[in-house]
Amino acid sequence: MGVLRVERDAPTGLAARVGGVAWRDFDLQLFVYAVLLATLGLTMAYSNTAAQLGGDVAQGGTTFVRGIVWAVVALVAFAAATAFDYTWLKAFSWPIYLVNLGLLVASLALGSSDAVSARWVSIFGLQFQFSEIAKILMIVVLARYLADNDRRLDSLAGIVGACLIVIPPWVLVLLQPDLGTSLVFIAVLVGMLFMGGASLRWLGALAAATLAALPLIWTYVLHDYQRERLTSFLDPAKDPLGAGFQLLTAQRAVSDGGWVGAGLTNGAQSQSNLLPVQATDFVFAVLAEELGFIGCMVVFLLFAALLWRILAIAWRSRDPFGLMVGAGVASMILFQIVVNVGMVLGVMPITGIPLPFITHGGASLVSIAIGLGILESIAMRQQRAEW
Amino acid sequence: MSVLETPVTHERRPVRFVAFAIVTVLALGGLTTRLFAMQLASAPAQQPAAALPPADVGRQIVTEPVPSTRGLIYDRQKRLLVENVPTFTISVRPADLPLSQRPDVIGRLSGLLGIATTTIAETIDGATGSRFDPVAIAHDVPEQTARLISEDNLTLPGVEVTVDARRDYLDGPLFTQLIGWTGAIDATAYASLQGQGYLPDDQIGKAGVESVYESALRGVYGVREVEKDGTGRTLRVLSTTTAPQAGDSLILTIDSKEQKYAQQALDWGLKLSGAKRGAIVVENPQTGEILAMVSEPTYDANLFARGISTADFQKLLTNIDLPLMNHAIGDQQPPGSTYKLVTGSGVLADKKLGMTETVMSKPYIQLGSTLFWEWNHAGWGPLDIKEGFAHSSDTFFYQMAQRLGIDRLGYWARQFGFGQPTGIDLPAEAPGLVPTNQWKLETLGQEIFPGEVLQAGIGQGYDLATPLQVVNAYSALANGGTLYQPQIVREIVSPDGTVVRPFTPKVIQKVAASSAVLTTMREAARTVVVSRHTYNLVDMPIVVAGKTGTAEFGLRDKNGVLPYHEWFAGFVPKNAWTKTNPTGDVSKPDSQLAFVVFIYNAGTLGNASTEVAKYYLQLHYGITQDFRLPQLLQRTNFYVGDR
Repeated sequence: MGVLRVERDAPTGLAARVGGVAWRDFDLQLFVYAVLLATLGLTMAYSNTAAQLGGDVAQGGTTFVRGIVWAVVALVAFAAATAFDYTWLKAFSWPIYLVNLGLLVASLALGSSDAVSARWVSIFGLQFQFSEIAKILMIVVLARYLADNDRRLDSLAGIVGACLIVIPPWVLVLLQPDLGTSLVFIAVLVGMLFMGGASLRWLGALAAATLAALPLIWTYVLHDYQRERLTSFLDPAKDPLGAGFQLLTAQRAVSDGGWVGAGLTNGAQSQSNLLPVQATDFVFAVLAEELGFIGCMVVFLLFAALLWRILAIAWRSRDPFGLMVGAGVASMILFQIVVNVGMVLGVMPITGIPLPFITHGGASLVSIAIGLGILESIAMRQQRAEW
Repeated sequence: MSVLETPVTHERRPVRFVAFAIVTVLALGGLTTRLFAMQLASAPAQQPAAALPPADVGRQIVTEPVPSTRGLIYDRQKRLLVENVPTFTISVRPADLPLSQRPDVIGRLSGLLGIATTTIAETIDGATGSRFDPVAIAHDVPEQTARLISEDNLTLPGVEVTVDARRDYLDGPLFTQLIGWTGAIDATAYASLQGQGYLPDDQIGKAGVESVYESALRGVYGVREVEKDGTGRTLRVLSTTTAPQAGDSLILTIDSKEQKYAQQALDWGLKLSGAKRGAIVVENPQTGEILAMVSEPTYDANLFARGISTADFQKLLTNIDLPLMNHAIGDQQPPGSTYKLVTGSGVLADKKLGMTETVMSKPYIQLGSTLFWEWNHAGWGPLDIKEGFAHSSDTFFYQMAQRLGIDRLGYWARQFGFGQPTGIDLPAEAPGLVPTNQWKLETLGQEIFPGEVLQAGIGQGYDLATPLQVVNAYSALANGGTLYQPQIVREIVSPDGTVVRPFTPKVIQKVAASSAVLTTMREAARTVVVSRHTYNLVDMPIVVAGKTGTAEFGLRDKNGVLPYHEWFAGFVPKNAWTKTNPTGDVSKPDSQLAFVVFIYNAGTLGNASTEVAKYYLQLHYGITQDFRLPQLLQRTNFYVGDR
């Protein structure tokens, strides 16, 4: 299949876009899938909290209550991003980039001065992780760059330019050190380059170069504990009570799930506190144990549907910026699903990447909500009356 | 809306969209396949279940040790010196700390505990054990902070607060050198003590009697059965198999009151003279019990009990006055003229000098081309032993050393306990040094030179002794010739109060000199005081006998003058009060109080140690009149010794 080439219209002023909102183009399906997934996440939070506290889940400060608070915040963020004209994001992408860098530098600096940790900043008593929001800001900035240069992406220069944009925030995130998020950055970059039509030859060459550099990164960049974590999945039984323990118990929990699972709050492995971190990185193991194979399939289908809607919006977008944002958000979500679920199932290393919607992390949920909101904003602002 | 109806401003690549969809389907399909294999298809065979505990791993019953209460330490008046107090330790169990929350948790801990995030992260990552072993982040955390952390366990996953007992040394630095302190067991000690039930995170006595009496103080750990969940958290205690036995308590020979007096006196002398380093030891000559032992400079044992910071520890390590050393037993220095006790007793006992025989003291003694000067460069004419001792005549004792020869001199030094550790129940005692021909041949490959014999006779040259050896030698003199092993722990008492090990004096040996010789030497020591060699010491309303010492050491300054230590060793007979008990008599071997004062590099006009001893005696006897002569404690840059 070839390329559907259409004439590029003249650059449109900001003013021309204002008022061109078509609420009928609001993608209701996307919203519904996202809400269902978030509800599932809250359900798991309820189940885990009930396990920890023996029923009194409504008391303040529990995972469940904080989950609800964050869900409300995410909903507001989604609504705001939807209502907001995305073209402004495009116009201000470079200031956004600088703000993004500033936030990451600030959180690093604050972290080293011991006031707060490098990755978290406390806002109104709720902990917030900058690197989560940095992913969305990065997607916006990268989308602007790729959209502006979509004819140059078959050359090395365009690809290298995109890499140069990603490298500063990537390094800052890696310094925190947040290995997981830095990997997500790479996945997003690759996904957007691919969808933006970057030359496959050059992409392949870069991938080959990266593979060649892996041994160096392994030796000189990674910390010991990171290496141990990355390799323990290969043979968890080697150290069953040490690094491999989480993996072994997670896999046992998944196995115990069967077709329909043990039912909420009934997971034997999870509710005996056997899964040390069931509330976060390994929450999918609890889900698999308590809701079974069928529950997992529902989750997968919801994710698949969500990705389909994101890609649909990207396809429909007349504006290359919209395509790029869709590609970035889709790549981010897909990568996180594969790595997180793969980790629980013992086929991926432990990297600390959250499962979108399901893992109880406020920043993760809010940043995805913002991403989806921007996509809705794009969807609603494509049907121009001028034609 | 149809795509083709709307003009599109850019290229669309259906192939890439399809490719992305295929990747998505493949990825989710792959995960589904794996999930299917694990959950539905012969699930048990798929997992390495054998490596895990049984199916209800959540509940396992394990036996674990129950720490015993460490024994307490009292002074001889049963005054409590060391207490066990609760201390809060904050640990992190890495397995319970979600990776995604790790920076958050570390950041909050950092804020609460005031420790750098990097330090906390390094501590966690540096732990070698299983990920289920708690890693201690902070010790001795204030109760307030510990409570905050333990109440906030929902937002601080993996963080645990444990209560342990810590030693509280009630008098701080006063007893540090004697009692010592406890600290975390190190790898070498653990390797050798593991068989005795020590745990890798145990506290162990590391200095002083805490270390020497570790086995008595520790008690016996008990054993209990507890139910734990799979992560190692204790759910409940099922039963106590063996109850822990509390450790035995120690009753020291030390009297806190005397210890305080001694410290007060020594600190006064050091402050006034500007010297930094010194020691004072008070001993009961009849039993070898140490009543007071102060070493300066020192430090607070609580620093270590609470977990000393690297900076504080470096400060202690690099201090040139060695605060970590107990100078009373670890500092071996030339004993100077206090050593004339050995030369005098030896020459009398060997009958190389008659009890009343006089020998000419001279301005100097010449050996070859070398002049060995009298300390006043003049001499006093003919002197008998008591006068020679009283004037501390160097030329007199040079001749005595010549009469004895180096090996007999060495013999008598060993008779008084020099040249070997006294065996006191404290760690790190220095042996001192008594030179003999054999020793010099073995270490330096030469015989002793004649000049070195002279020096050995007056406590210079190769002679080295610790303050404890000096006071113990004078104790033997004071008690009529019994060399006791000094002791610091009087009794060991079980928790219910029964005496496990009563006090028994330990005799090292009887000094081979006759009682007549020792009586003469005691009278000679009294003559030192009476002759006003020690200024107004004789005016105090108590009978005191003793001997000063000025011991040169180190390198000459630009005026050719050597720095010197100052010593004063002495004793008081029973009923020493001259006014109420005029029976006090140094010729009787009934003294119950011998003492030594040592000031390193004193360099004062008069003998600072004598002034310190005076002050101590004033405090000890409650003498209200002040006999101290502070003007003698000014530093001089010229040599006005009293050797």
